[in-house]
Amino acid sequence: MRRVAVTGLGVVSPLGCSPGEAFQNARAGRSGVRRLEGAFAHRLAAPLAATAPFSGDAHFDPPKLRMLDRVSQFALVAARQAVADAGACPGDADPSRAGVFVGTGMGGTQTSDDGYKVLYGEASDRIKPFTVLMGMHNAPAAWIGIEHDFRGPNLTYATACSSSAVAIGEAWLRVASGALDRAIAGGAEAPLSFGSLKAWEALHTLAAIDAADPSTSCKPFSGNRSGMVLGEGAAMLVLEPWDTAVARGAFIHGEVLGCGLSTDTGHITRPDVAGQVAAMHAALQSAGVDAAEVDAINAHGTGTQANDGVETAALKAVFGARAYRMPVSATKAMHGHLLGATGALECVLSLLAMQHAVALPTLHLQQPDPACDLDYVPNAAREGVALRTMLSNSFAFGGSNAVLVLRRAS
Amino acid sequence: MTATFERLSALLVKDYKLAPEALTPDAPLEGLGIDSLGLAELLFNVEDEFRVTLPPEPVPLETLADVVDFIDGLVAVQHGGAAPVSRAP
Repeated sequence: MRRVAVTGLGVVSPLGCSPGEAFQNARAGRSGVRRLEGAFAHRLAAPLAATAPFSGDAHFDPPKLRMLDRVSQFALVAARQAVADAGACPGDADPSRAGVFVGTGMGGTQTSDDGYKVLYGEASDRIKPFTVLMGMHNAPAAWIGIEHDFRGPNLTYATACSSSAVAIGEAWLRVASGALDRAIAGGAEAPLSFGSLKAWEALHTLAAIDAADPSTSCKPFSGNRSGMVLGEGAAMLVLEPWDTAVARGAFIHGEVLGCGLSTDTGHITRPDVAGQVAAMHAALQSAGVDAAEVDAINAHGTGTQANDGVETAALKAVFGARAYRMPVSATKAMHGHLLGATGALECVLSLLAMQHAVALPTLHLQQPDPACDLDYVPNAAREGVALRTMLSNSFAFGGSNAVLVLRRAS
Repeated sequence: MTATFERLSALLVKDYKLAPEALTPDAPLEGLGIDSLGLAELLFNVEDEFRVTLPPEPVPLETLADVVDFIDGLVAVQHGGAAPVSRAP
């Protein structure tokens, strides 16, 4: 197996539309969660979202923009950033050995909403010709492949909240095995259409609005947590063999050491300690890393009652007493839950956290919960923490668990 | 410049953000960023703008003048002459 370097990063997120901006806002403990405005906001029980400060007009010509759902716009812009950051890519690689791996849980939700509105709401029989192209789940990956001429595998993963962690893991495996020499991997999600928000609301997983300050509504690991807040955006990485990255003098953001997948088979939504433990063990095994080498965790940390207690128990089962001594960050309090893009965004934030020796904070941790008693880096970042190896956890509905093992470059 | 050309141009400026000076009758659609797939979408909008119904089969059109002639043909058959007002929102 070859070592795999991360040489390019790209981010469109509620914390900013570049990796550096998103990381600095996370480091400063700024929340991207806000009260949702708009025509349908009054029909939501808790009009909250983490919206990205993004307009497609700034990035695409109008004829092209008309073909792109917001999810593909996010994906393309994040991929452009990552490819530009990597430099000398993809021209120096055989395009047939360059692949695209994208996670998205929901695809083109606004396009689907618009189509239903016309067909059912307006009783029209005419639906826009681009509806299929904009709504299909593999549109973001396909557009990236077209734009960057990556002619190898072009794959889309839909495993709900672990989609982009799975995508990065799959890309890692192919580059490490020698099957590919270049990969763009990550995720994109644009879940803030009315239909999507109502569907999530009906599932009773979304946070109640904090009336005093809506930006604090997502409170992972806090005793008064009430659920997650949906966020939108994309994050992409360029992966390539370590040796070629070094040989061409590329800046290396970090290393993907491994990925572990597991499946809870007990319930479609209820998280399971054993399944999460199995994913972490599989990740460590794939990386050839001992649990004692792990310095910090980017938790799945959604802010739901069910997840945070189960994840805490799983971390204790894997790391024992060490679990109490390692920083566990739940950055979703700031950027919201980007569903199929969240694993990739948290992977980028983890790589930058190691680069800058910072443990990112878990904001709005206001009340202790006996079931959540680890060091979550409450409410403010911790600077000057030497972090060499991290796990990034993603645990999804459907029981699809994915854990990435990441390492600082130096 | 016919009335149909003016209305089509106005649609392209408003919805496709195309520069008015680029819109000449002999302008190739590909040069305006409208390929065969884009033409399908443009004609969908033409249906609304000119209140016509497209034939089910694809139509090979290459320039703005081709589109104008195609619209005029549909209007003549379906409305007996002048196009009615738009039903586009």
